[in-house]
Amino acid sequence: MERRTRETLRYLGYGKNAADEKTLALIKDVFAELEQTAAPKSICRVFDLEQTEDGGIFIGNLKIRSSSLSRNLKGCVKAVLFGATLGTGTDRLIARASLKDMAEAVVIQACAAALLEEYCDQEQMKIAENMGKQGLYLRPRFSPGYGDFDIAYQEPVMRMLDCAKTIGLTMTDSFMLTPMKSVTAVIGAAPVKEPCPVAGCEACGKKDCEYRRR
Amino acid sequence: MLRERLGKELLYLDGGMGTLLQDRGLAPGELPEIWNVTHPEVIREIHRLYMEAGSDIVLTNTFGANALKFHDTNCSLEEIVTAAVGHVKAAAGELGKEDKIFTALDVGPTGKLLKPMGDLEFETAYEAFKEVMVMGEKAGADLIHIETMSDTYELKAAVLAAKENTSLPVFATVVFDERHKLLTGADVPAVTALLEGLRVDAMGVNCSMGPEQMLPVLEELTAYTSLPVIVKPNAGLPKQRDGKTYYDVEPEVFACLMRQITRMGASVIGGCCGTTPEHIRSMTEVCRRDDIFPIREKEYTVVSSYGQSVFLGNSTEKKHGSVIIGERINPTGKKRFKQALKEHDLDYILREGIAQQDNGAHILDVNVGLPDIDELSLMREVVLELQSVVNLPLQIDTVDAEAMENALRIYNGKAMVNSVSGKQESMDKVFPLIQKYGGVVIGLTLDENGIPSDADGRIKIARKIISEAAKYGIKKKDIVIDALAMTISSEPEGAKVTLETLRRLRDEVKVNTVLGVSNISFGLPARPAVNASFYTLAMMNGLSAGIINPSSEDMMKAWYAYHALMNLDENCAGYIERFGNAAAPVGENSKDLLKKNDSRMSLAPAIEKGLKEDAAKITSEAIKERAPLDIINEELIPALNHVGEGFEKGTIFLPQLLMSAEAAKSAFTVLKEQMDKSGEAQEKKGTVVIATVKGDIHDIGKNIVRVLLDNYGFHVIDLGKDVPPEKIVDTVLKYDVRLVGLSALMTTTVTSMEETIRLLKEKAPKCRIMVGGAVLNQEYADMIGADFYGKDAMQSVHYAQDIFA
Repeated sequence: MERRTRETLRYLGYGKNAADEKTLALIKDVFAELEQTAAPKSICRVFDLEQTEDGGIFIGNLKIRSSSLSRNLKGCVKAVLFGATLGTGTDRLIARASLKDMAEAVVIQACAAALLEEYCDQEQMKIAENMGKQGLYLRPRFSPGYGDFDIAYQEPVMRMLDCAKTIGLTMTDSFMLTPMKSVTAVIGAAPVKEPCPVAGCEACGKKDCEYRRR
Repeated sequence: MLRERLGKELLYLDGGMGTLLQDRGLAPGELPEIWNVTHPEVIREIHRLYMEAGSDIVLTNTFGANALKFHDTNCSLEEIVTAAVGHVKAAAGELGKEDKIFTALDVGPTGKLLKPMGDLEFETAYEAFKEVMVMGEKAGADLIHIETMSDTYELKAAVLAAKENTSLPVFATVVFDERHKLLTGADVPAVTALLEGLRVDAMGVNCSMGPEQMLPVLEELTAYTSLPVIVKPNAGLPKQRDGKTYYDVEPEVFACLMRQITRMGASVIGGCCGTTPEHIRSMTEVCRRDDIFPIREKEYTVVSSYGQSVFLGNSTEKKHGSVIIGERINPTGKKRFKQALKEHDLDYILREGIAQQDNGAHILDVNVGLPDIDELSLMREVVLELQSVVNLPLQIDTVDAEAMENALRIYNGKAMVNSVSGKQESMDKVFPLIQKYGGVVIGLTLDENGIPSDADGRIKIARKIISEAAKYGIKKKDIVIDALAMTISSEPEGAKVTLETLRRLRDEVKVNTVLGVSNISFGLPARPAVNASFYTLAMMNGLSAGIINPSSEDMMKAWYAYHALMNLDENCAGYIERFGNAAAPVGENSKDLLKKNDSRMSLAPAIEKGLKEDAAKITSEAIKERAPLDIINEELIPALNHVGEGFEKGTIFLPQLLMSAEAAKSAFTVLKEQMDKSGEAQEKKGTVVIATVKGDIHDIGKNIVRVLLDNYGFHVIDLGKDVPPEKIVDTVLKYDVRLVGLSALMTTTVTSMEETIRLLKEKAPKCRIMVGGAVLNQEYADMIGADFYGKDAMQSVHYAQDIFA
C-alpha cells in the first residue's frame, strides 16, 4: 500500500485496522481528483539562527520564546522558514462534497492532508539537498501551534516569507491558515546530522492521540 | 492627459522597489512603506534614478499600505500615503520633470483571503482600498495602479473602490502562474472579462515570472483583451543564494525581451522584483516610442466566474457550440424549491447548483424571487454561497433592479444578466448596472406593445436594445437576444416564428441568442419530446445558449447528439463519454440484494454497506408494499444502530459510518416524499442548533454531526461556520431550542466558544450545550462551561437522545 494511502487511513482513524474496499476505492478516486484540483506551491527562506542562554530564539530579526522549538533547533545554526499550500481548489472540493456526501468530504479532507504532507516532504528534500552543499543537515519541520510554539508566530513567519504574495497563503484573524490545506514551519539546519531525526507526529507530547503514527 | 496617450504610444513604468530597499538595509519582514517616513531621502533617490532611466510613470512606495496589512504605532496610513505621493512629485521636481512624470498610487493586495475561502468580507476589502485611494488622490496621485493581484474577488473590490471614489485612471495587473491561472483559479479570459467589464483603463501582468516566461501568457492576454496591455515582469525567476532571493536576467537581455513584448502588443512596460534603474534604462534605450501596435477590438462574448470563463456564440475562430444555462435555481412552478426559499434552506439550493453542474450545465441561472421573501438579501446570500461550491458563471435573474445591483456587486466575475427588455423603463434601469459592473445581458424581444407575433417585430426590438445599449458604451458582443419561445398549444406558428427570429438574429443582426426552451411545450403532454426536438431545431438556427433543465435526459441527449452531428464534438468524444457506458444504473451489490426478491430484508444491508443509490431504489420498491413508518422502525433505525455500534466498538470507521448515513439519508428522502403525499408526518425528535464558532472556518466536524443528527430524526438548524455568539443565541431564543452543538478547531477559537457558552447561559439558561473539535477534551470542555463533550459524532447523537428522551 502506498504511503499516502496509509497516511490517509491514519487520519481517518483506522489505526492498525484494515480498511474496507469501498473506502479504499474512494481514496483512490479522490487522489485522482486531487491531482487535478490541487495546485501545490511552496516558498522557503533561510535565516541565521541564534539561541541565547536564557532560551530566546532569534530567526533573523524574529525573536521567539518556545522551549519545544528550542529543543527542536538544538545545535542548529540556520533556520529555514517554510510555507506550503494546496491552494483554494481543494477547499472548494471539500465544501462541495460536504453538501453532496459527507463520506466523500471526510475522505477528501484526509487525502488532502496526506497529499500536503507528501508534498512538504518532497519540497523539504530539495531544501535539504541545497543545504547539504553547505554542509548543513535539516531537522524535522516544526510549525507554529506545536507544543508551546505559540500559534501567534504564524503572523511574523508568514510576513517574513511574504507568502500571501508568493504562494497565496494567508491567515485569518484567529491565525488559521487559508487555504485550509496549508502548512507553515520552521526547519532547523545543523552542521551535525542527527542520528535518528524524529518526525513531527512522533515528537509530539500528546501520547494518547488516536491519530498518532504507530 | 494620461488617458490620451494610453495605447497610442509606448509608456514606461519604473522597476523594482523592494529589491533596492533591501540593498539599502530594509530587513525581511520589515514594512517597506515605513521608509517613506523614516528614510525619505532613500525613497526619493530611487524614484529619481528611475526617472533618469526614462520612466514616465513612477509608482509610489505604497504596495502594502492598507489598513489590513499595514500596522504601525508610530505613523498613520495617511502620513505614509501622503509622504509617498509627495516623494514621487519631489523627485520629479528635483529633475525639473514635474509635468512629465505621472505619479501612480501603487496598490497591492491586502494579504488576506476573501470570503468564502478566507475570513475577509468583500466590503471590508473595498473599504480598505477606498481609504488609501481617497488619500492618494487627495495627495495628488495621477492614477491608481492596482498590482500583483492573485484573486479576482479582491481585484474587483480594489477596482470598484477606485472607480467609485476617485476620478483617476485605473491600471490593474495580476499574477498568472505557469498554468496561466491566478492563485484562486481564474484563467486569462476570465480576468480579462472581469476587468473590461469594470472598465479599467489598462490591464496586464506583473511579478512572478521573468519576461521570457511571460511570453506565452502575454500571447493569450493580447488575444483576448481590447485594452492597452501592461507588462511588468521580474528580472527572471527568483533564485536563492546564501538565504537571499535574487534575480539574474541582465539589463540588456531584459531590454531585448521587453522589445519583443512590445511587438506582441504591450504598450505600458516596466519591471517588477529584481529589476533596477539599469534594467529600465536599457529598456527605454532599446524600445522605441513608435514600437506600438494598434489595439484590435475583440469580438468575444465571455462570462466568467472566479475560476473559469465561458464563451458564447461562434463569432470566434473557436467553435463553442451551444451553451447550456441551467434553469433549476428558480421557484417558478416548483413546490419544493419554494419551500426551501421560505425555510431559508440554502443547502437545498446549493445542491441544485451542484447537480446541474454534474449534469453538464455551463452557466447557472439564479432566481430567488418569491412574494414575501427578502429577495435583496437572499439573492446576495445565494450568489455568495453558490460561488463557494460551484465554479460555473452565474446568470443573475431578477426583475428587481436593486437585487440585481446587489448581486452584480458581490459577484466574483463577469455575470450573465437576465434580463432587459425593449421597454424604455427596463433599459433605463438595467443598462447603467451593466455599464458599471460589466456583464452579458439578455435582451428580451418585447416592449411596451407586448411580444411581436412575427420575426420582423422581434428583430426590430433587438436592434432597438442594441442601439440603446450603445449609448452606455455597452457593445453588441455583451448582449444576447432572447427570441422568446411561445407555447405552440396556443400559438400554432409560435415555434416557426421563434426559429426564424433566431436565424435572422444570427445572420442579419449578428448577435448572440438565447431561449427559455421548455416554454414551447407548455400545456402539452409528453413535453420532453417536444422540448428536445425544438431544442435541436433552435440550435440548428443559431441558438447560442439554451436555458434548460440539465437533469432532463431528453434535453441532454438532444444537446450531445446535435454537437456530434454538427462536428462540434471532435471524434464524438463528448457523446461517447456521456453515453458510452450507459450500463444498468443499479450496481452489482444491489443486484445481489434485490435477488432475494424480498424487500423486507434488503434495505438494512444496503444501508449498512453504504450503498446510496441502491438504498433509494430499494426504498422506492418497498413503499409499494409497506408503510413508511414501518420501514423506518424495522429497517432504517436498526441498520443505523448496528453501524453506530460498530463505530463505537472500533470495527467500523468514519468513512463507512458516513456512507451508511448518506445511504440512510437517500432512503429517508424517498420515504419523506411518500409521507408528504399521504399527509403522514414523522414526528421530529427535537430541534438542535449546530455551529462552528466565530473565528473558526473549519466545519467538517460540525457537518459530520449534522448528517448523523439528521439521520436519527432530529431537526437540525445548521448555522454554518464563523458564527457570532449573538446569532446562535438569537436562533436559540427564536425557536426555543433546548440543545446547541458547538465546534472549534483551535485554541484561538475556543475562546469564542467560551464566549458563546457564557452568552447562552445568560440568555437561555435552559438550553444545554454540547461541544466538540480537535483541540477539546473533557477537562477543557468543563473549564469553558459546556454541558457535554462529545469525543466523536456518535456521542453527540447519544447526548441528543438523552436530552430529548
